[in-house]
Amino acid sequence: MDNTTHFGFKDVATEDKQNLVKGVFDSVASKYDLMNDVLSFGAHRLWKRYTIASSNVKTGDKVLDIAGGTGDLAIAFRKKVGESGHVILSDINAAMLGEGRKNLINKGVFGVDFVQLNAQYLPFADNSFDCVSIAFGLRNVTDKDQALSEMHRILKPGGCLLILEFSKTDSEFLKKFYDFYSFNVMPTLGEIIADDKESYQYLAESIRKHPDQETLKDMVLDAGFGFCEYHNLSGGIVALHKGIKV
Amino acid sequence: MQHFALEQALNYLIQTGEIDLKPLDNKTIRFSLQDLPLDVNFVCTNDRIFVISDTSRNSDVDISLGAGVFFALFKGDDLTELLRQDKIVIHGDVKTAQLLVDLLQSVDIDLEEALSQYTGDIVAHKAGKIAKNFKKIAQNSSNPLDAIKDSLSALLITPTVSKLYKNDHH
Repeated sequence: MDNTTHFGFKDVATEDKQNLVKGVFDSVASKYDLMNDVLSFGAHRLWKRYTIASSNVKTGDKVLDIAGGTGDLAIAFRKKVGESGHVILSDINAAMLGEGRKNLINKGVFGVDFVQLNAQYLPFADNSFDCVSIAFGLRNVTDKDQALSEMHRILKPGGCLLILEFSKTDSEFLKKFYDFYSFNVMPTLGEIIADDKESYQYLAESIRKHPDQETLKDMVLDAGFGFCEYHNLSGGIVALHKGIKV
Repeated sequence: MQHFALEQALNYLIQTGEIDLKPLDNKTIRFSLQDLPLDVNFVCTNDRIFVISDTSRNSDVDISLGAGVFFALFKGDDLTELLRQDKIVIHGDVKTAQLLVDLLQSVDIDLEEALSQYTGDIVAHKAGKIAKNFKKIAQNSSNPLDAIKDSLSALLITPTVSKLYKNDHH
């Protein structure tokens, strides 16, 4: 059995990927929100807003946001579930989780729990969440199938999985522009703003290695979800996959 | 994307108690228009509805009808009468189908505008449909600004559509 996986365009030992990803996010944590705004021209806020609106989360729901980083989704979910609901912001990376905690406190958002966890081993009971979300995190997970299976396990029947992730565009023009932008502009901006060219080179590479829309849809269904559909956003640069556990 | 507004409107009405989903709990109803590319599953579960384009899984009831009949249904025509005239094909439990029709009839939505996407006027569909539903939501929501922002986001992230958007469409 092949004991390697990809880290961007590099092949690395499977057991090493987690630490390599950790290095990337340790490095970018403090500038994460700023870089997201700059690199996506603010579009990440719209993508996330659409994700929240698509969630059908309501008052009293229990929501887990995986790889939640600086807490954008958790803040919005917290508003939706109200006092009777429960939101958990989780991330494998302590530095990112720390940024999330700071961000929530600064914005006066309370009542969100913070859990440092690995998406492949979710420390929650079966059938316990109404919604699980992961935004721009799945591509960094070493064993995506195992993580999807875990997400399925902890969702209640009727629960909804939301995966917001970079994906593949069908437009040739957009593809050319996007390739140039991500392999030339993004690492340079990373160097200028965050003093970290390599992490943003990894970001561009990891997007290309991530499964395309149809492949990810099949993976979600293979994990046990009864339904899965995806919506392309911004021409397919990003896609929102929505899985329903039956 | 095109089912976004309908799903939002239905779930809003469920949450505000205007429609009761219990009779349809754990039912999946496939709804297809014979002459237009609209084929979706209404998945009723966990006290909410998902309107999903994934129709690969077996449903409890299949409802198939023409676009003209679809309009007639929503203008108040009786389901039983339309069934008798063979204008609607239902495979499965007719009672469940009736429950879904009742539920859809309770949504304040301009169906002709909603279906205009399939007849070429994508912009009118998306803008009109979203705006119409969210107008009601915004009026009643405790946080109308959020509701409006949500609907605007749906337009803005699909720039090929939104750049053609004109206010006079609705």
